This record gives sequence, C-alpha cells and structure tokens, in this order.
Amino acid sequence: MAKYILKRVGLALLTLFLIVFILFVLVRIMPGNPFPSERMSAEQIANKRAEMGLDDPILVQFGRYFMNLLHGDFGKGTSLYYGAPINTVLSTCISNSFRIGGIAILEGTAVGLLLGITAALNKGRFLDGFCTVFSILGVCVPGYVFLIFLQYFFAYRIPFFPYFFDPNRFVFSAILPSLSLSLFTMSTVARFTRNEMVEVMDSDYVHLAESKGMTGSLLVRKHILRNALIPIVTVLGPLIVDLLTGALVVEKIYGINGIGKLMVDAIAGEGVDYNYVLALGILYSALYIGIMLVVDILYGIIDPRIRVSASGEGEA
Amino acid sequence: MADTTYVPVPGDFELLTDRDITVDKNFASQSYWKGVATHFFHNRRAVVGLVLVLVIVILAILGPMLSPYAYDQIIRAADNEQVVAKGIAPPGTSEGSFAGMTFLFGTDDLGRDLWTRTWQGARVSLIIAFVTIFIDMIIGMSYGLISGYFGGMVDNVMQRIVEVANSVPRLVIVSVLAIFMPKGMGLVIVALLLTEWIGMSKIARAEMLKMKEQEYVLASRTLGAKSLHIIFKQILPNTIGPIITQMMFSIPTAIFTEAFLSFVGVGIMLPQCSIGSLISTGFNNITTLPYQILSPIAVLALQMLGFNFIGDGFREALAPKLEDM
Amino acid sequence: MVKHFTRRSFLGATGASTAALFLAACGGSGDSGSGGVAPSEGAAGGGSIGVMLYTNVMSLDTDLATDGDSFEVIADCIDGLMQMDADGKAVEALAETMEASDDGKTYTFTLRDAKWSNGTPVTANDFVFAWRRICKNAGEYAYMMSDIGQIKGAAAIVAGDEKDETTLGVTAKDDKTLVVELEVPVPYFDSLMYFPTFYPINEEFYTSLEDGTYGTSPATFLSNGAFVLGDYTPGTASLTVTKNPDYWNADVVKLDSINYQVVGSSDNALTAFKSNSLDVVMISGNQVASAEEDADLKDKLTVTGAGYMWYLTFSQTKKNAQGGMLANQNLRLAISNAIDREALVDNYVMDGSLATYTAVPPQFAASATTGEDFSADQTMFSDYIGYDVDKAQKFFEEAKKELKTDTFEFTMIYGNNEGDEVEKVAQAIKEQVEGNLSGITLNLQGMTKAERLDKMQEDNYDVALTRWGPDYADPMTYLGMWITNNSNNYGFWSNKEYDKIIADCTTGDLVSDYDARWSALYDAEALVMQEAVIAPLYTKANANLINPSVQGIEFHPVALNRVYKNTTKA
Repeated sequence: MAKYILKRVGLALLTLFLIVFILFVLVRIMPGNPFPSERMSAEQIANKRAEMGLDDPILVQFGRYFMNLLHGDFGKGTSLYYGAPINTVLSTCISNSFRIGGIAILEGTAVGLLLGITAALNKGRFLDGFCTVFSILGVCVPGYVFLIFLQYFFAYRIPFFPYFFDPNRFVFSAILPSLSLSLFTMSTVARFTRNEMVEVMDSDYVHLAESKGMTGSLLVRKHILRNALIPIVTVLGPLIVDLLTGALVVEKIYGINGIGKLMVDAIAGEGVDYNYVLALGILYSALYIGIMLVVDILYGIIDPRIRVSASGEGEA
Repeated sequence: MADTTYVPVPGDFELLTDRDITVDKNFASQSYWKGVATHFFHNRRAVVGLVLVLVIVILAILGPMLSPYAYDQIIRAADNEQVVAKGIAPPGTSEGSFAGMTFLFGTDDLGRDLWTRTWQGARVSLIIAFVTIFIDMIIGMSYGLISGYFGGMVDNVMQRIVEVANSVPRLVIVSVLAIFMPKGMGLVIVALLLTEWIGMSKIARAEMLKMKEQEYVLASRTLGAKSLHIIFKQILPNTIGPIITQMMFSIPTAIFTEAFLSFVGVGIMLPQCSIGSLISTGFNNITTLPYQILSPIAVLALQMLGFNFIGDGFREALAPKLEDM
Repeated sequence: MVKHFTRRSFLGATGASTAALFLAACGGSGDSGSGGVAPSEGAAGGGSIGVMLYTNVMSLDTDLATDGDSFEVIADCIDGLMQMDADGKAVEALAETMEASDDGKTYTFTLRDAKWSNGTPVTANDFVFAWRRICKNAGEYAYMMSDIGQIKGAAAIVAGDEKDETTLGVTAKDDKTLVVELEVPVPYFDSLMYFPTFYPINEEFYTSLEDGTYGTSPATFLSNGAFVLGDYTPGTASLTVTKNPDYWNADVVKLDSINYQVVGSSDNALTAFKSNSLDVVMISGNQVASAEEDADLKDKLTVTGAGYMWYLTFSQTKKNAQGGMLANQNLRLAISNAIDREALVDNYVMDGSLATYTAVPPQFAASATTGEDFSADQTMFSDYIGYDVDKAQKFFEEAKKELKTDTFEFTMIYGNNEGDEVEKVAQAIKEQVEGNLSGITLNLQGMTKAERLDKMQEDNYDVALTRWGPDYADPMTYLGMWITNNSNNYGFWSNKEYDKIIADCTTGDLVSDYDARWSALYDAEALVMQEAVIAPLYTKANANLINPSVQGIEFHPVALNRVYKNTTKA
C-alpha cells in the first residue's frame, strides 16, 4: 500500500511539474500585454520587460520562476493589484472561495444524499419521481441565476440577508452564495446516489440478505448505503475542484473577492497578468491533481479490489 | 419467469414458404436495440425529454425562418427613423407593442426580435453541442479504450496526459487558441473539443477495464486477433450503451460551457448569438427587464431537462433489469 | 407609449443644455416628504455612506495606480499640494502658497503644518522623494512628470537615460519650501498638482517597510488627508476609509466613514441602491431608463461628467484595411458622417453621455482667461462631421472613385469588458454604417481591453472603438495624441503642420501666450477633424443615483471623479 501511494504521489508531482511548464509557456503566448499601457513610451515598456526578465530565453525565465515557486513565492502582479505580492492577494481570495465553496459542498452533498436515498427507497413511486425531477432541475438553471433571485427576494424584498458579501459577517453572508453554488453538487450527488443504490438494491447479496430476513434500516445502512456510497467519492472529487475554483459569476454578483473572479480579472482584465494567471493555473492544477490523488488512494483503501488491479497494472 | 406451461397447438411448426425469411438475418442485434427502444419509450420521462428536445431542435431550425425579422436586424418603424430604443416587452404588458408591432418574446436592448434571436441562439448552441460531442465521442472513446486495453505504461502515460489536459484552465486555452484562429463558433468548438473528450475517455476506459477480462476477448486473442481489431470491432460495440448515455449528459455540459465562455466574452462574436451570449446580455437587465433573459434561460433549462431525461431513460433502458421491478 | 421610445432621453437633453448640471453636486434636496429613506447599512453613527466602485482598487501606491477608482481612494486619504474645489479649480491644499517665477519656469510652494497619520509632519522632502520615485520607476503615469509637467530632468530619468534620479528638478529648500523647476512654462501646472501622481510619500515610513508592501494594508499606508484607510486588503471587493482626526482641515470633513463596494453590473447597482445597501451608485443603459420612470428614483438621479471620450480610430497603414483603404480621407469622412451619434447616446448609452463632434470633448477644459469651455460649440466642424446620410454618401462616392472599388470589408475591434454599453454601441455603429453606405461591411470583433490595446499598438486592426480620458484640464491631453509617432496615434497619421502647432504649444513660442496658444489649438483640432483622423462619438457621463440624505459630493470629469471632503449625511 505504502509503495502504491508513494508511486502515485511521485507521479502526481511529475505531472504537476509538467503542467507548470506548459502553463508557463502558454501564458507567455497569450494575447494581450503584461504591461497594458497607453501612456508609457516604447522604451519605458522595454525597460519594464527587461526588469521583469521577460526578454531572457524562456528556459532561463522558467528556471527562475520555478526556483521562486519552490520557495512558495508567486512573484508580483504586472497588471493586476500591482505592487502587492501575489501571495497576499491569493491567500484572502483562497480563504473566501474555499470557505464558501466548502459550505456549498456540505450543503449540496447533504441535501443530495437525502434526495437520492429517498428516491431510491421509494423507487417507482411518486417520491422517486419528485426527487429525481427536483434534482435534475438543479442542473438546468445556472447557479448565478438562482443567486440573483435569492439576492432579489431575500436581501432586497425581504432584507434579511446582506445584499453584498461582508467578510466581517462571514457565515451569515455566505449563505446565499453557497446555496446557489450547491445546486449542481446537490443534483449530481442525488442522481448518482439514487442510481448506485438502485443497482446495489438489485444485487445478489442484497437479495440474499433480504432472503435471510434482514429488512428496514439495518439493511439499508449495512448493505446498501455502504456499497452505494463508495463510488460517490469519484464524482465528488471533480465537483470539489470546480466549486473551489469556478464560482466566477457568483463572486461577481455578490461582491466576493474569490479566485474565480481573480482568474477572469487576470486574463480578461486590464492586461494579461502573467504571474496571476500562472499562480491561479498552478493552484487549480495542484488542487485537481491532489484531489484526484486523494480520491484514488481513498478508493484503494475503501475497495481493495481497485488497489490490487491498479498496482498490478503499474507493475506490468 | 411467470408462465412456463405451454401447450403446443397444430401449426406451430409450419414452414413459412411464402415469406421472405432473410429478414431474420440480424435478428439478434436488432432485438437488443428493439428492447432498448421499447424500454425507452415506456419510460414516461424519457419520452417527455425526447419531445422537449425535438421541439427545441425543430424550433431552432424553423424559428428564425418563421420570423419576419433577421436575427441581427434592428427593427425600425415604417418611417425608418425610429429605432426601438429600449427593449419592448412581450405582448400583454403595458409596453408590449411598438408602432403596431408586437414581439412574442419582446426585443433586446438594440431593438432586435428576441424570438428570432432565441431560436438562432438555440441553433448555434445545439450545433456547437452536437459537433463537439460527436467528435469528442470519437476521440474520447478511442483514447479511453486504447488506454484501458493496453494498461501498464501506456495507460499510465495516457492518464497523465489526461490530467495535464484537464488541468490547464479553460480560459487560458481559449485565449491561446484565439491567436491561431478567429473568434466565434469555430473557436468555441475547438476549445470544447480540447477539454470535453476527457469525461468520455474515462467512461470508455472504465468499460474497457470491465470488458477486457471477459472470455470472448481472451478467445479472440487466442485466435490471433490484432489488438486494434479486438478494441474496435469486438469491445467497442459492447461499450456503446454507456457511451451514448454519457453523450446525452455531455451535451448539456457543452451548452453550459459555451454559456460560460460567452459570459466571459470569449464566446460567440456579436451580432451572432448563442443561448449563452443571450443570457449574458440579458443578465445586464435581469431585474429591470426580466423578460430579456427569460426566453434564453427557459430554452436552456428545457434543453437541459430534455437531455437529462433522455440520458436517464437511455441508461435505464440499457440496463433493463433496473426497470423490471 | 410610443412617445416613450421616441423622445430624446431626459438626461441627454438636460445634460447637453447645461454644463452646470455636470458640476452640480447633488439634486433633489428639496424632496424630503416622498418616502422615508432608511439609513444605509451600518450607518448607526449617521455620518457613514456606502459608495459603489466600478472595479477593484488596483493599488494605493501613487506610482502604480492607474485607474480612477484607485485614484479616488488615494485622494480620500492623501492630500497633494493643491486640491480641486467644487468647480474643479485648483486651490491650495498642503501648499499654503504657490508662487510662479516671472518666466513661468520655477514654482515655489510653501507648505502648511500637516501631519501624516503616524504623527510625523509632512515635509517638502516627502514630495521630492515621491516624485523622484515616480520618475525612476517610470510607470504608466510617469509621463505626468515629463511630457505633461515638463519638470526639469524628468524626461531623461523616465526614459532610463539618466540613472541618477536626484537630477530631477525638485528640491526641498527646507522642510516647508518646495521648489520645482520646469523645462518650459506649463500653463496648467497648478491644476496638475491635485493629480495623485504628484502626491507625497513619507520617505522614512516607506523605507522602513518590507520591499513591495507599501500600500497593501492599513498598517503599511500613511495618510495625511481627510480620511485614513480603515479596512483594506489588495483585491478586496469592499473597503472602508474613516475620518482622519489629525487632518489639517479636519473641521470641514463631516463624514465618519465611506464604505466602498465594488458592484459588477448596472442592474445589480440599481437594486443595491433600492435596497439601501449603498447611497451612491452609478447606473447605465436601461437602468437609467427605468429609474427615470420611477417617481421616487427620478429625483435621486444626477448626471455628472465622466470625462472620457469614445471615438473610432482608423488604421491608415498599408498592412491593414485591404491594403490601406482607410488612408483615404473621403472614406473616413464617409464613415464618420454615417454615424448617428445622438441615436447612440439616446438609445444605447442612455446615461446622459453627450454626442460629440469635436476632437476635444466638451466640458473639461475651460479657458483660464475667458472661462469658456474649449468645445462648447459642437457645430464648429459641421462640414466634416455630423449625421448626414447624403453627405456621407457623397464622400463615399468620391472614395470609391479614388480607390477604384465598390466593396469594402473592415473589422472593427472593441473591448467587451469595458462596460455593457460598448457592445451595444459597436453593434449599432455596424448597423448604421452598413445601412447608410452600401458596400461597406463592418465585421465586429470583441476582445478584452488589453488585447484591443495590444492590437492597436501593434497596428494590427482596421477600425477600433477606443476611448481616452483627460488627465489634466487642457485640450492638449487630447490633441497631443495625434502628433507623428505618438504612441497613442494609432492611425499612424502624420501631418507636418499639425506637428508644428503642437510643438509650438507645448515647448515652443506659444507656451507663454495663453490666448494665442488657445486659438492655435483650435487650428490643430480643425486639421484632425478635416482629415477625420478619428471619428469622435460621445463623451461619457455617469448617471448617479444618490441618496438625498447625502449632500455635497463634488463630481469632476478630470483627475478625481468624486471628492467627499465637503460631503454630509443627514
């Protein structure tokens, strides 16, 4: 097991290194200027570029960047929040996005599981249809549209919640955005749970358990849920990454300084901020690869069959 | 299962000399798909989904033709001077007409007919979705099947490539692509192509891992069949079910992603429109003139609903044991 | 009902007729009976207002800030030598007196007693340090020191030719006396002094900070102005400034605090205002129309000049526009005359922006001697610009003959992240030009502002929809752009006569003769208009919704859009 994990971690780090390099090259060929300017002369811009080392060979630039990266230094912005170290800006944004995204994941998973289990246990009956349609509706409308309705009705018509995000009242003002973000998770988890459970309920060992006279909640808990929930780990992984990083519009509407909006500002703002795009891209990749790694390893722990076959393949 | 006692009657074994018996040639495979179809059409939600999608597709084709206006036409009154400045609401409201003209879905900020634009947008979105999903199915399926079949080093390398491809933020990809090709529908399609095949390849790989241990594969291999023959001629037909299901779920994702790209401003170029760009424009007036975002959102939602229902229906029809209870 | 769509917008009409409205602080003061307005959120003390920002504050460092929102917050917290009064005139701030030498090339400022928020006094050296730093770092606004301010030695330092920034012509004679030497007299020098680039920074405090942390938190930022930084992290969508009790003029400042909030869309701004979350918001497009129709909101609407002008620029080089077709003057004139600017502002921009027919937009630069707005007369160039389809077609026929072709296909680039109305305007221009001049196809290509600028600077475009905001209250902020090889001369237009006039007005004989220079500038402008170097479109205004309990916000089209020093909240 330890060998398997070690190997996966090593591979993940190698992949990440490759991604950092690819991103580094891609960012440098993106259109737009790292020093957008209408008032600087050509020589001023040339001086700025030289100062940033943008005229060096790309491998030299990459080497320098990578060494800084190893020290946890993302550098400074060129067209975005200039002056401030990226780490400062990033840490606030990450903390906001992760906390709101985290709440959204909890909400979405909890409600999704409830809906999915209810639907599966009432399969073919009215409640099944209701829960299924309800959960599909969650993926039909973009979350930000939902947020606008929430904001309009619960912050303006009935002014209960704050109209904009307020870092000083974090949890309270995170309710509306996290609710709207949780829709997609809720929906996916609900449908996945239902289908997995229905499949498990139809499997031989459940039939066997039933034929032994096992019924009710014990059957559900001991045999059905446990086996049905294992694969949910696999869908939750990518969902978590998306939630933590992809809340651009919601952040914009609700005035949250999070990483979704930061990414768009870095690419489609005043200029193309090389360092911000890179920092955010690396963050996204690291999250993705990290969570996938955790999912794989967890899966290996939960379900030994996978581990055996996966490591067996690796050896071959 | 239920009724096993059968009493033979005379005539059971008569020869059908006057009929063309060659129709039975492909009976085995036909009956499988027939079964799927029967299950599918017995599923009320799946049928609703199919009807929804069909209606939207038909309207996307015919809608713009049925309209007296072009999708990019700024409508003027008879005297050609007055431009419909602010949007005109759908009929039935106090501002529901202009110079005797009414507009079913209202007009947008430039005074263009939203009925025409909505269906034009639906058309663009559907084209984008279908083209990308079709090509992605081919790429993703081949990739996943090959990766899963060979396993080992090949699989390892191919899966790392998937991780890399999945890790580069979409906005970066689109921006870089925009250097090499003009912005617009083509760019959106290529951008989606580059990322959407991944989901498909994962499904295909998982299916392959299940399939390749089966006896018929072993038999083929023993008989000296080449790898590619086994992958594409023997295993592929058996994985097509889950892949079609995945396709149905991918179409909404593609439409959503296109909407996101338009929202950020790298999608469809104006005055052309897509469902996504209509939503992002309507978003600017969402509480002031809500009808502007209503029609594209409704079409988007119904499309999503339709494709999801179809996808669910397919999955259940392909695994009929789930439905037999 | 039909009337609703045809009438000229209320704002357009009033905005055009009176410049006074532009500078008026706030309307609707008499209306107190109509509906009680709840105090803004968290305004228990009464003196706190919520204000909308368009974009995140990018930097609080005067060397790095480039956008209006950042400048506004900096100016809340730091005073310069001069400040703007309610009418936009430069009056003394940290400078107690300002004296210009007879030749206009030396300015001596005597500072008043003022303190930084850490208790140290503001000295002349703080200015010297800040200005040298700006020149040495040679950022976006360093040109205010060199090209605009003409401070001695600045140009060489900014260009990087002179490595020793102490050669800059700014000296602290003693703690209270600052002497500034100029290369040539600059007629509007006093009005530059309220621009944030010229604000001081305390050297001792700055050097005590870890490198690169200045202005990134309340602890790393010193203020000497009306407010101190309360709550701020870089990249935040909301920030607070609170009253500075040690401000030299603290008595006039009534507000306890200003809570800034970045709002992403006009629609969201309108609802935020209606929900009393914010006291001051800016709206545009249909939200203005809907506010005008709302009896309650209508009175709270105030139009103020935003200063910047939108215009079309045409690439005149061979590599663009089908082999340099747009180098043809008649073709450019045809396009310019085929655009209905009134329709653009009335139907699509809708926030009171003014249709503009001059290369220098109206209402930001008034003559120092007569007080008359430089571009008050918008019909000055009616021979060359206006909405006249017949004339446009006549120009077009000429162009077709000269270019020996009937069909033209150009691409117009515009920024799709520069405001909702820009997309609308671009599409409307396409429709108008294609409709009025059959034979021209204008393809639209939206891109980020950064990409648009990049394309324009690389001369890789046909037609571009772009904008320029005045940095100082003189026509030169616009006219200076069209000289040969200026980096903002995106069309690569070149005219020797024009270059000469501008040279005379900036560094030549005319700098010391105010009125002669003023009229020479008209000659220069006429050249730009005759040759349709650019096609001016409209001058942007802001449609503000202001809570009637908030009084005395001063709006300006130049440099500092909003000033709160005399603002009160009931």
